[in-house]
Amino acid sequence: MITTKKITKKYGDFTALDQLSLNVKPGEIYCLLGANGAGKSTTINLVLGFINPTSGEALINGKSVFKNNIETKKDIAYIPENLMLYPTLTAMENLDYFSGIGGQKLKKDQLESLLIQSGLQPEAFYKRTNAFSKGMRQKVGIAIAIAKQAKALLLDEPTSGLDPKASNEFGELLQELKGNGVATLMATHDLFRAKEIATHIGIMKSGKLKQQFTASDISLPQLEKAYLDTMNYKELAK
Amino acid sequence: MFTYNFKYELKLLLRSSWIQLLTLLLLLLFVFASYNGKQKVDKRTADITSAQTVVDTSDKETLSILLAIEKGEDLNLSPWVTPTSPINIGNQNPRVAAMPANEMAFMSVGQSDIYTHYVLPKVSGDDFALNLSEMASPIQLLFGSFDLAFVVVYLLPLIVIAFSYNVLSEERERGSLKLLASQPISIRKWVFQKIGIRMFWISIMVLLATTVAFLLNDIKSFDGYVLFFVTCVIYMLFWFGLTFAVNIQIGKSTQNAFVLLGFWIVFVLLIPSIINQVSDVLYPVPSRNQLINEMREHKSEAEKKQDQILDNFLRDHPEYAVNNDANSKSFWHSYMASQKIVKEELQPLLSEFDNNLAKRQKWVNKLQWLSPAILVQQDLNTRAGTSKADYENYRQQILNFSNEWRDYFMPLLYNNQVFTSEHFSKLPIFQYKSDKSIINGYRLWGVLLLTSIVLVIVIITYKLRTKKEYSIIQ
Ligand SMILES: Nc1ncnc2c1ncn2[C@@H]1O[C@H](COP(=O)(O)OP(=O)(O)OP(=O)(O)O)[C@@H](O)[C@H]1O
Ligand SMILES: [Mg+2]
Repeated sequence: MITTKKITKKYGDFTALDQLSLNVKPGEIYCLLGANGAGKSTTINLVLGFINPTSGEALINGKSVFKNNIETKKDIAYIPENLMLYPTLTAMENLDYFSGIGGQKLKKDQLESLLIQSGLQPEAFYKRTNAFSKGMRQKVGIAIAIAKQAKALLLDEPTSGLDPKASNEFGELLQELKGNGVATLMATHDLFRAKEIATHIGIMKSGKLKQQFTASDISLPQLEKAYLDTMNYKELAK
Repeated sequence: MFTYNFKYELKLLLRSSWIQLLTLLLLLLFVFASYNGKQKVDKRTADITSAQTVVDTSDKETLSILLAIEKGEDLNLSPWVTPTSPINIGNQNPRVAAMPANEMAFMSVGQSDIYTHYVLPKVSGDDFALNLSEMASPIQLLFGSFDLAFVVVYLLPLIVIAFSYNVLSEERERGSLKLLASQPISIRKWVFQKIGIRMFWISIMVLLATTVAFLLNDIKSFDGYVLFFVTCVIYMLFWFGLTFAVNIQIGKSTQNAFVLLGFWIVFVLLIPSIINQVSDVLYPVPSRNQLINEMREHKSEAEKKQDQILDNFLRDHPEYAVNNDANSKSFWHSYMASQKIVKEELQPLLSEFDNNLAKRQKWVNKLQWLSPAILVQQDLNTRAGTSKADYENYRQQILNFSNEWRDYFMPLLYNNQVFTSEHFSKLPIFQYKSDKSIINGYRLWGVLLLTSIVLVIVIITYKLRTKKEYSIIQ
């Protein structure tokens, strides 16, 4: 569903992403781990077509995102790291707008049930989002993502800044979507949550995918060790 | 996408108070500018009327004196004022050669500020060297008047720029662009729609402001109203086209603002002033002072040999010599003859002056295509009847009338005829005829053409760009 083939991104002489290949099938949750600057966001941005690769290609459902950018985006839902909405519009209006411009016409009760699903407290539905916390905005973003009924879900550190409860609820939501056959690619720093919700885990360093695991094959301590080994912090792992 | 953009753009604009603020601003500007323009027009009309009143009063007086003389009364008047002398009438009872304001004059008073709108050509006057703008004050020339044309040409683009310079960059800077760009839409189309919608709303506001301004000033010309609005829309189209180009090409809001202000400076200030400067160099108009000095020299030269000039003149114009004998040769006979000679001698200089003016105007007319600001200003001026061409047309009509006036009196003078009340009723009258051919729509088409050129350049550069990234990520 979400595929990258030997994708490389260079900024001048600097290689942000080096021949990265990965594949996320429907019903899989793929967690990308890696230190700051490893290239996780770059990977997601390439799959979205926000940036163009220097070489290689990214595919959604077998279609090149560079050649059919608008078409492939119909299948993608994306929650950016720090999701920002229109501050003068309410949560309902933001949801209505972002779904609507993409061609998703939703009625009032549909919008409301989406917001309920996302876990946003009902008092906030009709409030302008200017005073929303990061977590509240993130939840509206989740509602926008679910509304799209996309087959591919791209998440860039979606739980950073969420309180543990919200983060937990988010994990449950992902499991639900997984059950619906959604392919999820998620960048995160949270090893614990990655182990908990992922079906597959990849560890990146300097633009390269260093290690890949099936989540069920590895315990959390093993994952931690593998991560730190990759980061060259061997002493600390002992 | 469009219905959602339309619906939510209005909400966003209302909630950020843009619509309210702009409506208020446009209303204030349009009402104040049109009021200002109307004041100037009213003053112009009042000036003409009062000049006409003075003439009417003195006409009445003169006629009653003429009638009294014709009844045989001896009023014992000095020969310098007696109305039976044709030349006295020709000098002391001039007609008002006025250029009344047309209904749309209030739109653009820029030029009319520095021009005279009535003259009183006299038989012995120097009006062949007439300059209507001798009163030109450099300060006024520099700033123009605060009229509707100024608001449209100078300020409207700034409002358009302020309203839409950051349509895309604002999204990026707020952080909502990523979410937006992940929707299955073309960002270019999205920007285009947003700008189109803003253009729509600002047009509605301009329509409102125009309506209020026209109603308050009691302007009844519906054509003038519609055309003025259409002109505003077409001109704004150019600026919106430019902001669209800048929005999709350039990254940050501040950069956009500077680039667009740069365009404003180039099109509204730089190109017009460069055209003026260069035309001064290419087609220098001999200075007025030089012309006047030259004229004075020729005159004093002529004065020294007036008798000889008169003899020559009468030899050249036997038709005037019919009644001539030595006794009836007055001061005026010689003066008018020498005046005619001076005029003939100055002719080359005058035509050079006129030629240069014409050539310069032709050149400026060609270069007006470089800037929509010039095109729109010229278009508004022609419809207000205050363009250079209108004043030139007026000047020519005055020159013709001066000749007509002089030609009416010359035979009477040289035939030593007595001026009568019957002559008085047959005096030539000046009637200003506006030249409708000065007004035409090609300038507005020109602005549309410039707009399409901008859009074509946008599309071509977009197509040529290999890296079609909107830098969605900073
Ligand atoms: N526009 C750009 N120009 C130059 N270098 C860039 C650009 N965008 C990203 N990079 C570089 O590419 C590398 C990968 O960045 P990326 O954002 O993908 O890292 P990340 O894994 O998401 O890190 P983080 O955990 O901090 O989010 C970084 O070294 C970054 O400096
Ligand atoms: Mg990142």
